[in-house]
Amino acid sequence: MTTVESYAKITHGEVAPRGLIGGAPAVLDETKRKFRREPGFPVPILIAPATLWLIVFLFLPLISIFIFSFWKTTGHGMTPAFTLEHYRDFFITEGFFDPKKPEFLTPSIFLRTLWTTFRFTITVMAICLILAYPLAYFLSMQVEDFKWQLTLFLLAMVPFWTSYLIRAVAWLPMLGRHGLINEFLVGIGAIDEPVSFFLYSEFSYTMALVQLYVVLAVGPIFFSLAKIDRTLLEAARDMGATPFQIFREIIAPLSLPGVAIGMIFVFVMIMGEFATAVVVYGGKTSTTGTVILNYYAIANYPFAAVNAFMLMLAMMIGVVVILRLVDIRKEL
Amino acid sequence: MAYGPGQVLQGKFSRRSFIKTTAAGVVTGAMTGGAFLRQAAADGGLRSIGLGVSEINEIQGQATKDLGFPVAGQALGYGEMFSKMLNQNDQYEIAEGYYNDMRVMAPAKVWQPIDTKKLKDWDKVTDLTKTGKLTPESSEGQGDAPFRLMWCDESGTIVKGPSQYIIMVPAWHNADSLGYNPKATGRPIESWGELLSKDFKGKVALLNVPQIGVMDAALAIEALGLKKFGDKGNMTKAEIDFLIDYLIPLKKAGHFRAFWENFGQSVNLMVNGEVALESMWSPAVAAIQAEGVPCVYAFPKEGMRGWHGGLAISAKVKGKQLDQAYEYINWWLAGWPGAFVARQGYYHSIPDNAKKYLAAEEWDYWYMGKPAAKDLSDPFGTVIIKKGDVRTGGSYWSRYSKINVWNSIMQENDYLVKRWTEFLTA
Repeated sequence: MTTVESYAKITHGEVAPRGLIGGAPAVLDETKRKFRREPGFPVPILIAPATLWLIVFLFLPLISIFIFSFWKTTGHGMTPAFTLEHYRDFFITEGFFDPKKPEFLTPSIFLRTLWTTFRFTITVMAICLILAYPLAYFLSMQVEDFKWQLTLFLLAMVPFWTSYLIRAVAWLPMLGRHGLINEFLVGIGAIDEPVSFFLYSEFSYTMALVQLYVVLAVGPIFFSLAKIDRTLLEAARDMGATPFQIFREIIAPLSLPGVAIGMIFVFVMIMGEFATAVVVYGGKTSTTGTVILNYYAIANYPFAAVNAFMLMLAMMIGVVVILRLVDIRKEL
Repeated sequence: MAYGPGQVLQGKFSRRSFIKTTAAGVVTGAMTGGAFLRQAAADGGLRSIGLGVSEINEIQGQATKDLGFPVAGQALGYGEMFSKMLNQNDQYEIAEGYYNDMRVMAPAKVWQPIDTKKLKDWDKVTDLTKTGKLTPESSEGQGDAPFRLMWCDESGTIVKGPSQYIIMVPAWHNADSLGYNPKATGRPIESWGELLSKDFKGKVALLNVPQIGVMDAALAIEALGLKKFGDKGNMTKAEIDFLIDYLIPLKKAGHFRAFWENFGQSVNLMVNGEVALESMWSPAVAAIQAEGVPCVYAFPKEGMRGWHGGLAISAKVKGKQLDQAYEYINWWLAGWPGAFVARQGYYHSIPDNAKKYLAAEEWDYWYMGKPAAKDLSDPFGTVIIKKGDVRTGGSYWSRYSKINVWNSIMQENDYLVKRWTEFLTA
């Protein structure tokens, strides 16, 4: 079916071809679409299970974390109270207001840890985007056959089929002092002695995180690219647009929602990280996740709650910023 | 976070099987462990929680057989064990815990005082936990030694002993130090100070548990004569500052290769040649040797870092279950499980009772520090000791005459964790 034919069909009131790839969006009357509802189950019944689940297992725990963050620690638990001391400890160190002390105006280690967690997350997100976008672009734009598209997409997802632990641990025989890379480099005479830089370093940490989470970015970007109406590209070409212009004017803006969703996934996952650093960074760093764990381990629950709450706040701000940059509702 | 006195590795010690057993352990721990516990409670038996050191199917299975009521054990990671013991004492009858957590558990009153008059072999329990001196010449050691935290009054408040009541019945224990690869170090390691030696820059690992990592570092700093600590088990803020401020530049210069959090990691670090020496739990030595990598467990001249486990009863237990709890504890003291864990290198609070269930060669090797008269197996039948091997540090009595410090929770614990975070982030 040619483009003209398919549009002809749509305008004749038929349903738009639904499908993953290259499906032309239905051209429906905007006002009609807004208020039209599929007949069937009433809305309350449809949203009740999810709402209940979220209230009981998400909102109530979150609220209790917030409340606990004001309680007092007893050394073996906590008692109801209202104190801001844990928040003070989160932000500032002793001597913060004393110009004579070396700690003068130095933010506390917990705030700095949150900051390093955030900074590192941004780095990993950038690398994920650089890797994921071309991959998704290739899959959706260059691979013509739907079967191949699906096959290759699933192949890209293969790392997700194995457990998290295996994926992280698998780096050890690769990067270690006597790992594959070192043996290879020594073997070809590029280096005389194995180097320790590959493993238990920021390098290995970044690599492992990118490899662990890049698929989270590939998926949404792939889907938003695949949804782009090919007739638009064809029209642009017909009107003399260069490939770069087509990308800048059509593909990039239309794929933004996928990029935003993918980045939100990666952002949230890495902000909450605490386990990967132990395996591939040799525990040589602290994330807010490890701080929470450490204070939980010594039964200082209020302070763990403060850190958890601040982490959540940072995540929410990050997500809001991403959503501000891309209006997903509009773009979708 | 899994930490603490050691973790049991069942079967062969290969790296691959370790990952498998860990994964399997997590699954069984999460799925069947809980189910077992519920079943045991439903059948009018006991539920016990602890680490893999004492929660082993064979042990609770034997108890079930010997006692005539079901005993279900659940092995948890240290973090989960700690918080379950503290926050859910209606979910277990027996806590197989550790004295270094007593400063948290005792004031929380989650366990009930145990009447020593109801313990059949109480008189045979050695003085290690009663007075702190295994032999009259022994030093007590700094920190949370059991004798400082075991005794309590009828209400469960810690008192200076001896008294009729105790919070936890002493059972298995051991002492930790450094493990090293003699080929990589090029010399025998005889002092904690070697941890910070420039010769091993980039080839050292510490345990990533602030409370314990900091103590190993303090032992090293003291051994090097840089500072004398008042009590390494209960440091002042100034002492913690001195220590962390000393460690931060070292870390920045790349002195530490890694900070490990679980048993498997410590084994891998040495097997893969990443470190020459590291703080280590003793069962790791056999695991590393099984991979063909030489490994020696050091007996530092400053003494080792001790830890002691035991059995406590949840405050919620009463009636028939309370009688059963005492029966189980008496059964523990009587020696069968003590002999079982001895084959992994752990000692029992009544050595003579463990001896009853050990072969003469086993007793000579594990307790007497004599060369193994024949190949010896771990509790699961894998040969881990070759004929002629000798346990470092000599006999039980010579090892425990010189405990430098016991695993502890300091009063400045919060501050310690804060500074440790700073150290790791540096």
